Amino acid sequence: MNKAFRSLVTLVAFIVAGIVLAQNVTLEFAQWWEPELPAGEFRALMDEFEAQNPGISVELISGPYSTTRDQIVAGAATGTMADVVGLDGAWVNDFVRQGSLASLTALMGDAGYDDSELAAQIQLGGSTYMIPVVNFVYPVFVNEDLLEQAGVDAPPSTRSEFAAVAATLTDPGNNVYGWVLPLSMELPNGIQNDVMSWLWASGGSMMADGQPNLVGNADVISVVEFIKGLYDDGVIAPGVFSMREPDKVEEFVNGRVGMMVGSLAWLNLIRDRNPDLNFAITALPAADDYMGPRGLPYASWGIGVAENSEHQAEAWKLVEFLMSSEYNSKLSSIANAFPGNVTSTPDFVETDQLFADAFNVFQQGYLANEFVGLPVAENLMRLFDEQFQLYLDGDLSVDELLANAQEAWLENF
Amino acid sequence: MRRPSATALTRALVICGLVLGALFAGLPVLWMFASSFKSNTQIFAYPPRLIDESFSLAPYRAVLTDPQQLRFFFNSYFVSTLVTLLTTLVGILAGYSFSRYKFRFKNSLNLLIIGVQSVPPITLMIPYFGLIVLLKLYNTYWALILTYMVFTLPYAIIMMTGYFNTLPRDLDEAVLIDGGSSLVILWRILVPISLPGIVSVGVYTFMLAWNEFLFALTLTRTNEMRTVPVGIQLLMGQHSFEWNQMMAMSVLGSLPVLILFLVFQRYFISGMAAGSVKG
Amino acid sequence: MQKSRVSTGLKRPGRHRLMKGLVPYLYLSPTLVLLAVLSLIPIATVFTYSLLDNVIITRDAPTFVGISNYLDIISKSHFRQALQNTLVFAIASVIAHFILGLSFALLLNTNLIGANAKALFRVIYILPWVFTASIIAILWRLLLNPNGVVNYLLISVGLANEPIEWLSSRQLALQSVTFINIWAGYPFYMVSFLAGLQGIPTSLYEAAKIDGANGVQLFRYITLPQLKPIITSLAMLDFIWTTHQFTLIWMTTGGGPIRSSEVLSTYTYKTAFSAFQFSQASTIAMIILALTTFVAIFYVRNQRMAAE
Repeated sequence: MNKAFRSLVTLVAFIVAGIVLAQNVTLEFAQWWEPELPAGEFRALMDEFEAQNPGISVELISGPYSTTRDQIVAGAATGTMADVVGLDGAWVNDFVRQGSLASLTALMGDAGYDDSELAAQIQLGGSTYMIPVVNFVYPVFVNEDLLEQAGVDAPPSTRSEFAAVAATLTDPGNNVYGWVLPLSMELPNGIQNDVMSWLWASGGSMMADGQPNLVGNADVISVVEFIKGLYDDGVIAPGVFSMREPDKVEEFVNGRVGMMVGSLAWLNLIRDRNPDLNFAITALPAADDYMGPRGLPYASWGIGVAENSEHQAEAWKLVEFLMSSEYNSKLSSIANAFPGNVTSTPDFVETDQLFADAFNVFQQGYLANEFVGLPVAENLMRLFDEQFQLYLDGDLSVDELLANAQEAWLENF
Repeated sequence: MRRPSATALTRALVICGLVLGALFAGLPVLWMFASSFKSNTQIFAYPPRLIDESFSLAPYRAVLTDPQQLRFFFNSYFVSTLVTLLTTLVGILAGYSFSRYKFRFKNSLNLLIIGVQSVPPITLMIPYFGLIVLLKLYNTYWALILTYMVFTLPYAIIMMTGYFNTLPRDLDEAVLIDGGSSLVILWRILVPISLPGIVSVGVYTFMLAWNEFLFALTLTRTNEMRTVPVGIQLLMGQHSFEWNQMMAMSVLGSLPVLILFLVFQRYFISGMAAGSVKG
Repeated sequence: MQKSRVSTGLKRPGRHRLMKGLVPYLYLSPTLVLLAVLSLIPIATVFTYSLLDNVIITRDAPTFVGISNYLDIISKSHFRQALQNTLVFAIASVIAHFILGLSFALLLNTNLIGANAKALFRVIYILPWVFTASIIAILWRLLLNPNGVVNYLLISVGLANEPIEWLSSRQLALQSVTFINIWAGYPFYMVSFLAGLQGIPTSLYEAAKIDGANGVQLFRYITLPQLKPIITSLAMLDFIWTTHQFTLIWMTTGGGPIRSSEVLSTYTYKTAFSAFQFSQASTIAMIILALTTFVAIFYVRNQRMAAE
């Protein structure tokens, strides 16, 4: 009896402990999204997740975007990385190399998840490490008032047209320029969004067989020569070499630049900052003779799970929740982004003409960002940026630019 | 014996110099202050204007009505105050030792204390972070307090040593003859006379703790533990900045430091240098 | 009380001496514990990193490579350029901080204006010191923007014909960030000099005046020598702090255009967090440590000579 009683106690203790443990899973979710969204909205989404998954609570660890990556690196190095992390495609390779991200392929398998609804998965070595939750595409924003004043009736659709319109719009006396190009060394993603995007829009590629392919690449040459032409013609707003994304949008809002490659995330911001501005959205112009589908540069809010997380199964549930048709639509709607689930439709597409235009651009093209998944992607952009600035300043020929950039890139492959 | 006109001329020149200097120092800050009342769009308007029709208190309201931002302010006060008290205390003890005693390794230790601040903090971040986690201090006030003590102690010690060196040793002898201990000398005699030096160390420490960003972010995880500079950085988004709120927050953040300086400036002004007189 | 003193009278001197020998270390103990744990351990770790390859960034165990990281770094032209820029940045900052700090202190030390006016000027003069580095960077980016107020004023008064690209031209970027650093850092000197000036006995000046010394001579033979100890302390500390300046440069130019305003701290950051070469970054940190320790040794020696 004594023995039986003891086993019973042990059993009860196990069950109780099991329940207590099951109820006590707290997932840490490190991301920069919460501060980017309207106050309280992201937390509300997490509350819904908690309501649907009793026993799991989510603690949001939010930081500024500019330092999120450094914080994840430090966290991974010291074993304090959050269970679930927000990722940018440019970081994935480095974290996988560091061994800090879990293979989502394995987690999907364990959970018996059907991945057919996912718009994209970022894979390395055959395993998925990041899933883009929402995507911000980079179309061209056009200031219609400036176009009208200059007597241009339609936004440009080819590079020649773009150059011509930019030249028409430019009026240094009135401080108005055709285009704006941010090449800051602090955050060199202008190389991705404003330079290489021209390449992808015309179906070009800077890679071949997983290796950099810049030297002698006719598509790349035509892009950099095109931008150099704009630069030499003086149609790009001044301050190029230290300009950052947040500066770029203020130039546009103040009506000092006619055209800008910009994140769709800015749409509401621009309306909010200057309600009187008339602007339109159009696809990035392609090379004059290019007829194929256009690659659209994009940035993602991606998601990944920490390799050293003790709650990977619960972490996957959170990923699944965010990728589900219903909640992916919700998140896309509050973030003004395009969904990572192919069956989701953000509500703004039906209610907002400009978003509908952008959605149209999005549906006609395909998402293209070759920096996603490359090793030390941000550093690659910076290395290219250095050579590109030298080229714009006239220190290098186009061949030297590409040779130097390729050599610098190869050191990192 | 100068002629009155020469004095008047000197006076005019001095005032002229003072005003020019004040413009150099103050105009950029005035611009920050003006920008904190503008709309984000007007901050970038051309031609730029100091005050325009977008003038509004909204940025301040946004900062002051957000409980999270207020929490940042509370944390900054709390951390900075504690760091200031502790650094001053520990710095006084160490400075006293360097100033009044001869002991082995004195010069090496002196060099060490200067030397430890020679590594750029940015490179120490990862091992330092690991250490803080290991010590179970991650995401606590103590992580920040101890870190800022490490940053400010070298300066505090250099200053306090120098300050005590300027004070005559006859003072100590008198206490010793009366049978007092070295602690009595320190607290009853040296500390009260050195108040200006102590205040100057305190103000420096407070400023550093109030303004530090990198470690404040790395060593904390939740917004409950974060300070004003992190709050300012959180207004710099992925795609756009809240310029006016950032400005409003730094104006608000600078007020306590300025008030502190105003209150203590009498001590501060005569304190800072005596410390270095004999360095 | 009396009794015990007598009874231990024989043993006392030896123990007393031992105790007395420990006293200075006792006073130093909080400092030493804190610095040993929170400063020496991380520095030692960084030093170890500098001798290894493959730290932090991969799952594989690091490999010992000896001094090859050092040879690698020293041979890089980017490193040498960053070193050179750092020296330009730091030396120009220290000199300008000194000149501005001393001039403003002399102006504020005048008895030609009232106490309240002086207090007001003092507060205005320390303003640049009270803001966090990232906000100083943001503010100056706004001011020096091609469409910013600085260019607007220069164009309005006819000093410039077109907007000057202060932060985005290779010729000006390093000078501009140095200027911003000068603006942000002089108040520390100013306040110290103000105090120093008040510590100079007026009798010295009076005696010199009787000997017929003029203003320049008073400054040269009394003010400067009297301030010398302050000057060396400040210059050393400022030199160390300036070589560490990261946020200000990173958030204004990011070390660019190209590498024209790259300093050791931005170079280290890029190496660590952008190129993910933590061993190399640690090596640069150790080289900076060696360079600044050199300055510190010079300083300590200088102090000892002054004390003797």
